[in-house]
Amino acid sequence: MNANVNLPAITGIGSVSPFGPLAGLIPPRPLEPRAIPWATGGPRRAFLVDPFRPADVVPGLKTRRLDRLSTWALISASLAIRDAGIDLEKVDRSRVAVVFATGFGCVELTESFFQSAAANGWSGTDPNTFPETLFNAPASHVALFLGLRGPNLTVDSQIFAGECALIQAASLIRHGQADLAIVLAGDTLTPSVYAWYEAADLLSPFCYNSEPLPDACGFIPSEGVAALVLEPAGSREARSYARLHSGRWAEGGKQANAIRQILGKYVPDLAICAGNGAPCATSSTAHLAHEIIGFDTNIVLPQAVAAGLAKAGGLLHLILALNSCPISGQALLLSTAGESSYAAIHLELS
Amino acid sequence: MSDIDKTIVVTGIGVISPYGIGLARLQAGMLAGECCLAPSKDLYPGFAGTTAQVCDLPAVANPSNFYYSRTDQLAVVAAEDAVANLDRESFAFEESGVVMASTVAGLCELDPRIAEDPNAWYRQGGLARASSYPVSHVATSVGTHLGIRGPNCSVSVACASGAMAIALAANLLLDGAAPMMLAGGSDALCPFTLSGFNSLQALDAAPCRPFDQNRKGLNLGEGAAVLVLETLAGAMARRAPVLAVLRGWAMTNDAYHPTAPHKDGVGLADCIRRAMEMADCSADEIGYVNAHGTGTPLNDIAETNAYQAAFAERSRPIPVSSTKSYFGHCLGAAGALEAAITITAIRCGALLPTLRLTEPIESSGIDWLRGEVRRQPLPLAMSVSAGFGGSDAALIFGSGRP
Repeated sequence: MNANVNLPAITGIGSVSPFGPLAGLIPPRPLEPRAIPWATGGPRRAFLVDPFRPADVVPGLKTRRLDRLSTWALISASLAIRDAGIDLEKVDRSRVAVVFATGFGCVELTESFFQSAAANGWSGTDPNTFPETLFNAPASHVALFLGLRGPNLTVDSQIFAGECALIQAASLIRHGQADLAIVLAGDTLTPSVYAWYEAADLLSPFCYNSEPLPDACGFIPSEGVAALVLEPAGSREARSYARLHSGRWAEGGKQANAIRQILGKYVPDLAICAGNGAPCATSSTAHLAHEIIGFDTNIVLPQAVAAGLAKAGGLLHLILALNSCPISGQALLLSTAGESSYAAIHLELS
Repeated sequence: MSDIDKTIVVTGIGVISPYGIGLARLQAGMLAGECCLAPSKDLYPGFAGTTAQVCDLPAVANPSNFYYSRTDQLAVVAAEDAVANLDRESFAFEESGVVMASTVAGLCELDPRIAEDPNAWYRQGGLARASSYPVSHVATSVGTHLGIRGPNCSVSVACASGAMAIALAANLLLDGAAPMMLAGGSDALCPFTLSGFNSLQALDAAPCRPFDQNRKGLNLGEGAAVLVLETLAGAMARRAPVLAVLRGWAMTNDAYHPTAPHKDGVGLADCIRRAMEMADCSADEIGYVNAHGTGTPLNDIAETNAYQAAFAERSRPIPVSSTKSYFGHCLGAAGALEAAITITAIRCGALLPTLRLTEPIESSGIDWLRGEVRRQPLPLAMSVSAGFGGSDAALIFGSGRP
């Protein structure tokens, strides 16, 4: 009996990112940050999603009242289901979970609600906007549009929101609380978010279009939503991108020891570094990967466009890395922050 | 895995509520029928309504210059209360994880000026305040303050968040992700949410009347509750007192409407059935339901229909009350506070009535608790939560006694 049969497997991928809306893997192509339209104090750059008509991607989709985060969540979830070859009419939708990770939530409409308060006072705010400001609005719209009546969660973690969502979704399946899960992670860039990154001195010199120093820290903000379909491996005849053996994220402890425990007897052939992509952060993640699995191991470094999603970037890191991976073998999705925080997910690529 | 590794128990409860700090104050106030809802006019200009506020919130020691929003402070005070009897040098404590629920989080620290000119607002002191905006900050605050290093995350699923935090923490314990989990919810009153619910005409200007035919809406409150969860094996190993057993939990979604619950309570009824299935108990064994019971016309009728459907097999009516009638709806904290109240009901053998319930919604199979506190042994009780976006959660607690 194959011991991996019951492991949750990634069977579908969808995304709305600066590469556009896509089902399946994202074909590699160079991508440059663009000037943000709202900058006032000189040029500022970011990886932005170009506007598109949602109904062109998902026929019948009505998004007039939704912000971009909810819209992208709907589209990426639909694309992931399409990529997985799932006919929802043949699925018990009361057993399908949605787990969404976001750092800033529906910040566009939160800004809009604040603007209405500034203009009209707190007594004159817009009732249509308020419910859409809630962090769980995108996951709820996914459930509503696709008729998914299983657990519907929105989670956030200080550094590893995407990895946390993936681990929690796998847990729901493992404990029989769902038969299938749509896992999503993403954020939108808005003036207040970009200005916060800038004021907190988190941005890469690339954002200012200047010549960056080779070891300069900071990242280039990005936006988008990535989605994965997770279901028990072998539950139907479906292509599997990867199976999830185990995973953990923690705020502290001895990183290397904890990750070795996660891996057990397995030695990964590949480490996929996530995280915010700044050289100072990436080097420590890569160093840890080498320490755990040796210096001969392939390391996939973070791509800037996924790194720009900060803590919601874990899924996009994984999707982008799958294009450059060997077609099979053991892999470790690894992200670190500071000296002791980490997220590690052991995958079997298939 | 043995049964004691799969049994999740509650070994600590921390609370801050409008009654004050600690479960004892909450319990004493509620058993005495004391209502904390009061007129409030100063939450923003033009607001005249009823809320329940936490007074005298203690300052949180902050040696690392970490910014704590009011929501964070409530969470930290509740967490401190929950772990008051724990050995902080123990492996279980140091490796413990945190799942905290919130809907408001650091929104209570933001100002409409952030949307007009964010750069200026950050320069004028808003930068640190804005750092507390993500919901993750609530869990981070608890973890950082206590110096614990297990998995740490926040959950934001509107008003079902608090119960879901407990459910997710239980899942993580079953996964072996940590030896102990602190799980709960925290939310502060703030103009943003008051204004939002007011704009939806969901607020009752007077103290709310859940499940009453003349109900007019909800009142907002604030507070936090944190449960210490661990496996029975873990609790036995450190000889911890078991306050309650988390027998079952479930989460579902109506997939019906962005804000309104399904009028027949279909998703909630399914959630209740799933929780009973996990708890391996019959509908007859549930002795009390601490309802979501917001006092809004739509929620309460949907919930009534859900109970009628989920408990249809019972041989006698199911006792139900809404304790939001005591100190309002604490949003992301509500499910955790109500879990604490449900455990209190089990431990005291006391079924709390809904205050101001004079003309209950007409229903069959529901025993609306009103008037006096009902004293009776209570081996199993359920806490139910629901929220905008159609999410539902149900937790079943049992006595910790063998």
